[in-house]
Amino acid sequence: MHAAPQWRSAAGTDQGKVRARNEDAILDCPEHGLWAVADGMGGHRAGDIASQLIVDSLGELTHPQTFDQRLEAVRQCLHWLNRRMGQELTVSDQQVDSLMGSTVVALLLEGKRAACVWAGDSRCYLWRGQQLYQLSRDHSLQQQLMDEHNMSLEQARAHPGSRALTRAIGASEHLNLSVVELEVLPDDVFLLCSDGLYQGLSHSELSNALSLISPQVALARLFDGVLRGAACDNVSAVVIRQ
Amino acid sequence: MSDLERSEDTPQATPVFRAMPTVLGKRYRIERLLGAGGMGAVYRARDLLHEQFADPQPCVALKVLSEAYEHSTDASALLFNEFALIRHLRHPNVLRVYSFEVDTEHERVFVVMELLRGPTLDRLLCERPLGMAWHELRDIALPLLDALGHAHERGVLHGDIKPSNVLLSEDGIRLFDFGLGQAEEGTLSGLASVSRSRVNAWTPGYAAPEILEGGPLTRVADLYALGCLLYELASGKHPFNRMQATAARDMRPKIKLKRPKRLSRHAWPYVRKALSFDPEHRSVSIAQLREALTVKPGFWG
Repeated sequence: MHAAPQWRSAAGTDQGKVRARNEDAILDCPEHGLWAVADGMGGHRAGDIASQLIVDSLGELTHPQTFDQRLEAVRQCLHWLNRRMGQELTVSDQQVDSLMGSTVVALLLEGKRAACVWAGDSRCYLWRGQQLYQLSRDHSLQQQLMDEHNMSLEQARAHPGSRALTRAIGASEHLNLSVVELEVLPDDVFLLCSDGLYQGLSHSELSNALSLISPQVALARLFDGVLRGAACDNVSAVVIRQ
Repeated sequence: MSDLERSEDTPQATPVFRAMPTVLGKRYRIERLLGAGGMGAVYRARDLLHEQFADPQPCVALKVLSEAYEHSTDASALLFNEFALIRHLRHPNVLRVYSFEVDTEHERVFVVMELLRGPTLDRLLCERPLGMAWHELRDIALPLLDALGHAHERGVLHGDIKPSNVLLSEDGIRLFDFGLGQAEEGTLSGLASVSRSRVNAWTPGYAAPEILEGGPLTRVADLYALGCLLYELASGKHPFNRMQATAARDMRPKIKLKRPKRLSRHAWPYVRKALSFDPEHRSVSIAQLREALTVKPGFWG
């Protein structure tokens, strides 16, 4: 059985206060146990199209029997999209910047199994036992500087270009997806979000929102928090719980 | 600046963004994005008029120009050009177009086309990294050659043959996206106003060297792209390791292509000819390729 009627979720996306358009896209499919957030690349022409194509394609996946098959279908779909936005893309001499790309973070749930697949810096968090865990690890220069050069978060942030991504759908010929699998415990709450959300909220603000029982109320709390601030990026989030 | 670097999106630097309306032309409800390229996006839409008359299959595909082209003065002519080229063709393996329409309220032009279900060849190739079995290759290649052969006979050049522009539907192969297509001289002469000199676009891995060097679109340029596609279907790999044709041509020592195992020794010289960098040497006809690809590779190839 792959249907997961026991999951409740709430999803939202907002342009924010500064950006001229919303280049984020969200997928909210509790009936198939599949959710995703994609954040189209800000500086590129087709960022909104790229993120929309990712969530629409994931949403159209047929649902084979086993969890492993479903996970493989998600991975294969993302590898195909990487080809579509890279080597299949028509370029023109009218377009100086013809790159098309997007981050993605997708969560697949079935029974006690969970898998998170991602490329880029959109994140998956887990709220478990009153603790907030970041399940995904950003594919960004900032994270790389912290991992490989032992920089602190502050040092890495101060580095020029630290927000640059090291992986994304459409960014290079060979896509290296990250995958984390885990066992789901009762009362686990998952959050998928774009950087516009987590950059605008503190660890404790995220925790306070996820501790709320209703995914809708948690989502509203997250958006209220971000939109009270500068909200200089697009904001997207999906909250999922049993 | 790194390709992946995020720039801050300043409102004054961006033209006014108009979100895709939910209903186009007061008739087509947009359901989902099916695909997007450099020039346009294709959506699945529900034809609300047909639905009112209980049409069991009320869904269509809509091609809408991407925003970058919307602001160009030639934009509508460009899309109409594509519509007129496809309408000029009548072949079961060429995607059918229904109408060219204008939504004055939302200032959008779009083409209504048949909606097909099935994978495009780029998706199939992702699932088959070693290429297709011979019978699968044949079943794709022959109708594709028929479609392109028909287009050329009718004086229509495709201009962007590649795996993502060929779809394997439930009822066979469809060649689509004539967005970079052109009519040969003497065909649809009124359309000549939209020429490659105004819209110079290509797909780097499939464009013939002369296209990359600014030359005109010709039948043999389509053949080069087709050669790349056939080679990739047979081996799972691009013939020149995804290099652009001009870079592959200028490599020293020269690249020696090997015959993919799934192509017969009989077929290989024809495919090899289609892949010639010099258009003068691409002296192979679609009929020859078609005949050659019907021969199954034997034990010794």
